[in-house]
Amino acid sequence: MMLALTYDVGNIWLDSLLGLLAIIVLMTVGALALIWLERKVSARIQMRLGPMRVGPYGLLQTLADAVKLVGKEDMRPRSADRWVFELAPFVVFVPAFVAFVAIPFTRDWAVAFLDLGLFFIVAVTGLSFVGFLMAGWASDNKYALLGGLRAAAQLISYEIPMVLSLIAVTMIVGSLNLSDIVIYQGRVPLFVWQPLAFFIFIVAALAELERQPFDIPTAESEVVGGPFIEYSGIRWSIFYLASYTNLIVYSLLGALVFLGGWDWPLGREAGLWLQVLLTFGKTMFLILLFMWVRFAMPRLRIDQLMSYCWKVLIPLAFLQIFLNGLVLVYGWPDFTLLLTSGAGLLLAGYIVDRTVRADPRTLRMVPANPGAAEPAAADSAGS
Amino acid sequence: METVDINVNMGPQHPSTHGVFRMVLTIDGERVMDVEPHIGYMHRGAEKLSEEMDYRQAIGYQDRTDYLAQFMNEQAYCMAVEKLLDIEVPERAEYIRVILCELNRIASHFMFLGAFGIDLGHFGTSFTYGFREREHIQDIFEEVTGERLMYSYFRPGGLVWDVPDNFVQRVRDVLPKSRQGLQDLDMLLTGNEIVSVRSRGVGVMSAEDAVSWGLSGPLLRAAGVEWDLRRDKPYSIYDRFQYDIPVGTHGDVYDRYLVRVEEVRQSIRIVEQALDQLPDGPIMPEKMPRKLRGPEAEIYSAVEGARGEYGIYLVSKGGDKPYRLKMRSPSFCNLSALRDMTIGNYVADAVAILGSIDIVLGCVDR
Amino acid sequence: MLGILKSMYVTMNAMMRKPVTIHYPDHHRDVPQRDRAFPILLWDKEVDEPFCTGCHACERACPVECMTVVMKDNPLHADGKSERRKIVDQFWIDYGRCMRCNICVEVCNFEAIAMNNTWAGHELSKFDRNDLVLDLDQLLSQHKQGKIDAWVPE
Ligand code: SF4
Ligand code: SF4
Repeated sequence: MMLALTYDVGNIWLDSLLGLLAIIVLMTVGALALIWLERKVSARIQMRLGPMRVGPYGLLQTLADAVKLVGKEDMRPRSADRWVFELAPFVVFVPAFVAFVAIPFTRDWAVAFLDLGLFFIVAVTGLSFVGFLMAGWASDNKYALLGGLRAAAQLISYEIPMVLSLIAVTMIVGSLNLSDIVIYQGRVPLFVWQPLAFFIFIVAALAELERQPFDIPTAESEVVGGPFIEYSGIRWSIFYLASYTNLIVYSLLGALVFLGGWDWPLGREAGLWLQVLLTFGKTMFLILLFMWVRFAMPRLRIDQLMSYCWKVLIPLAFLQIFLNGLVLVYGWPDFTLLLTSGAGLLLAGYIVDRTVRADPRTLRMVPANPGAAEPAAADSAGS
Repeated sequence: METVDINVNMGPQHPSTHGVFRMVLTIDGERVMDVEPHIGYMHRGAEKLSEEMDYRQAIGYQDRTDYLAQFMNEQAYCMAVEKLLDIEVPERAEYIRVILCELNRIASHFMFLGAFGIDLGHFGTSFTYGFREREHIQDIFEEVTGERLMYSYFRPGGLVWDVPDNFVQRVRDVLPKSRQGLQDLDMLLTGNEIVSVRSRGVGVMSAEDAVSWGLSGPLLRAAGVEWDLRRDKPYSIYDRFQYDIPVGTHGDVYDRYLVRVEEVRQSIRIVEQALDQLPDGPIMPEKMPRKLRGPEAEIYSAVEGARGEYGIYLVSKGGDKPYRLKMRSPSFCNLSALRDMTIGNYVADAVAILGSIDIVLGCVDR
Repeated sequence: MLGILKSMYVTMNAMMRKPVTIHYPDHHRDVPQRDRAFPILLWDKEVDEPFCTGCHACERACPVECMTVVMKDNPLHADGKSERRKIVDQFWIDYGRCMRCNICVEVCNFEAIAMNNTWAGHELSKFDRNDLVLDLDQLLSQHKQGKIDAWVPE
């Protein structure tokens, strides 16, 4: 599989075909593994065992589920808009898939090294909201419609802080080529210099991935799956696959742009397998972070989601760009980047805190039966 | 541009309606313009059935109304029958009843805390934490009564059988676990900013409105009314314990949540005191009639259930069966305020508000 | 932000603890001695006949009327082997209707009926509702074979 990425047959068609094949395999296996992982992580966070039945530790559970889903009837509501309904899963799926093309996994492994790689990925992944909207509209279901509209609003809004945070980084690097960005970072990954941008990226990625606390379009307890509500069988599983592929794409992107990709602090001459390991490890770190957040957070409301994006994240992202501009124009040393960005991060934290601080809540405690016999265990009673 | 409000049907099969409850929402975009609650999907005619049962048989049906706070229902029913037949309940039975009722309140509130997290969008984490703690308590109940859900353990006059020998120790072992579990949930939810913004200022109900809607229980106390039947209409032996009644200040969803968290703590306090004072003795009065026959009378007895005032109105025309049995279910009365609280809020809030009422459909529909 | 970090901490903390669930069909939890599954009849091993005399007390007391009892003269009594003059002839309990209220056990004067307190008593799924109506042999078989250590209160 890895060989195929670099193998140079000489024929450009064959080359790209092999590359795409490798990506398809990587993506499918990756998504299946991630679904299993997410189930396990969620189980452990919730102190459950998780899937245990199929294979050792339930490793083959997702495979079994995939077989089941493929074997299921592909149902379509009679009043659904046929073509839009049936195409929607692919419109969601293809962008996630295409984004893979531009991602360099190691220094010399990628299907295509694009000079505008970052731009390409952002542009392509931004398309997936069309699919959600199509699914929501075509299903002829009110939950789906609500979910589709929510998805459109959310994905478009959060695209902006995401792009802005990446712009802040590219300002420093001076290139949109992902390889260049990684090579620039060298020993010190960029999240050290740009914590605020990293924070914004993580939050926006969470929103783009529709994971808690931003799973508003698919909110289980409100719109019961949103745009996917009428889908079943293979089409539903394509949505599912797309969401996990997106998870991989955004984690890879974060790992490359902010965590230093295949480089590490101990030296630049990492061997091939070490590079693979580093990219994999950093991606895994982000994936686990996303999963962890998912199971620790409740969900925001749609208006809060929007105001958080437009009133907090976007101004902060502009602030980051502005600060970077100052530092770059005056040629201040690197650590000022850290200082300014760190201050911005604290500001972001303060803004979130303020919502709660503004209205501290205490309950009035009215003692009942104060005259009752003094209990023997009075000191241990009441925590 | 012409816009129309759309009707969205939530339930009876919907993850957030806590059972078979149906709301027809009229929404304008994301705003709820009107709510029409539909109940009755779980109506089993428990009141009518109770008229056909003698006083012992009907206890099983009390479990099945509010199936998360079963002991309180049994307590209310048994109290009504005891009042009717003029039976004195032995000390020990009263203490065990109080211990079990308060444990039941803890279990029920844990269930609420878990489900509340789900309503706010937790992917099951709070739910499993709540369930974990409920399970510890459920184990005690199972050891005592043999059942996990439908205990039918109280009897007019006392209890059906005595608790196992290690009961006191078992409860004492579980209480720290409950405290720990409560702390987990507390850390998970109380301070979380997202929970705060989602629940503060949502579904506000003023004290006057709450009283005129006839709300009771945590909803009423969250609205700022000091009213707890355990204190204000003392029944059983609740006047022997020290505890605090948490009273909210804003009457919104967040206050309801906080009140319940605090009530768990206070219930733990009551259980500890009751365990210390638990006397030995019989669990049934010496001379119980074999067949319970009541005089002509009208009785109302109410307990402070986990969701509010659970009342039994019993009319007897003599004989071994009630002539009429009315259950005043707190869930039903509290649910009636749903429309008022929800209109004007967002769809997501409707779910949170419904969750904060903490209905049990078995209790609403009876 | 602090609250969010706290939530993250507590979930991580829980992740480090041991899972509380068990792998159900492979492992069963222990049921307490008083566990109440469904009522079964007990077998008097000394006389080799059921304890039940077919007195109809439980049948009358059952709130959901899911029991049917038929009584007969005890043949063993005529031979002088048994104290019981009457004995149960037929007995049906519809587990599909039983609400496990324990009243039948309470009213029985002969300690002839008890609640099944084994795990097997809970796993009763059947494809046909009629299979849930158990007759005398089925009700007696478990205690006869010594599979149950029944707990009869008092
Ligand atoms: S089980 Fe007991 S109460 Fe029922 S018929 Fe037999 S002897 Fe009578
Ligand atoms: S447990 Fe209750 S419902 Fe079941 S057979 Fe006995 S009396 Fe009837």
